[in-house]
Amino acid sequence: MTKELTELLAKADILENAGYYYKFDNEMYVNRRAKKAFSMDFIEDHAASEIERCILAPADGNAWQFYFNTDPSSSVRQQLELALG
Amino acid sequence: MADRTVQDRLREEYFSLLPHIRRVAEQLEAEIRYHLLPIFRDLRDYEQLVVKARVKECESAIPKLQRHQEGAVFDREYAESYSLTSLKDLAAVRVLVFPRRRLQEVDLVLRRRFPDWRSDPVVENNRELALKYSGYYRTEDRVQAEYQIVPVLTGLFWEVEHSAIYKPSPRLRGVLRSPEMQERSAMVVEALRAFEAEFEGVIERSIDDQRV
Repeated sequence: MTKELTELLAKADILENAGYYYKFDNEMYVNRRAKKAFSMDFIEDHAASEIERCILAPADGNAWQFYFNTDPSSSVRQQLELALG
Repeated sequence: MADRTVQDRLREEYFSLLPHIRRVAEQLEAEIRYHLLPIFRDLRDYEQLVVKARVKECESAIPKLQRHQEGAVFDREYAESYSLTSLKDLAAVRVLVFPRRRLQEVDLVLRRRFPDWRSDPVVENNRELALKYSGYYRTEDRVQAEYQIVPVLTGLFWEVEHSAIYKPSPRLRGVLRSPEMQERSAMVVEALRAFEAEFEGVIERSIDDQRV
């Protein structure tokens, strides 16, 4: 297995252990309770330590927090929030 | 009347492009077959060279463009900025090759014909699974085309995967990006590669032995 895939699997483990699941329609890891979502692009491009830091960061509570490489626009955010329920 | 969605716009664009996509796919296939004729003529009876053209379907092209956006969502505010012409494989030709040593031969011939096309090999587990090139067949074309050179078993696996899973439901493509599925997929492809390499080895050792 390549180093990249091993690292990616380790990041997936971190997210799953923190209660995230992979939402294939949007290609992102989501935790409805924490109201946080990580895009696969973000996960692939950031170190495991950075993802752990984002998981532990205090949540807003009301608004969804999207960890994307490029901040989603308000229209994209709206559509994602609708899909996430 | 309800506003048109990004998908509606792209469907309209697709059907205006379709005659071009078909023409590019047919011309690229014909030309690739022509250039590979000397290799075809030289094949031993156990060797294979299969050339297949395909036109990407509308309901596969739009989700693919959508998956290029982070979060797989089109931004409605920028609806006009999306175009299917940004996809590199609306028209595509796949060359299935067995044994692997023929792969380099095919690659050399086609690279000579398409020297300016961009190389974007499919790499998994630090191994090149397939060679892939994209570009404009003619400079005035509106759509890009792609050709792939793939070992037979890997290519057939991709075809089965596509027709059994993704063709009936293109949205399931996103499943494959999950890290666990990437791991499974790498295992299947590696097993097929090893099977093919062994198969090829047994045949060639047997042929060499008969020559002695």
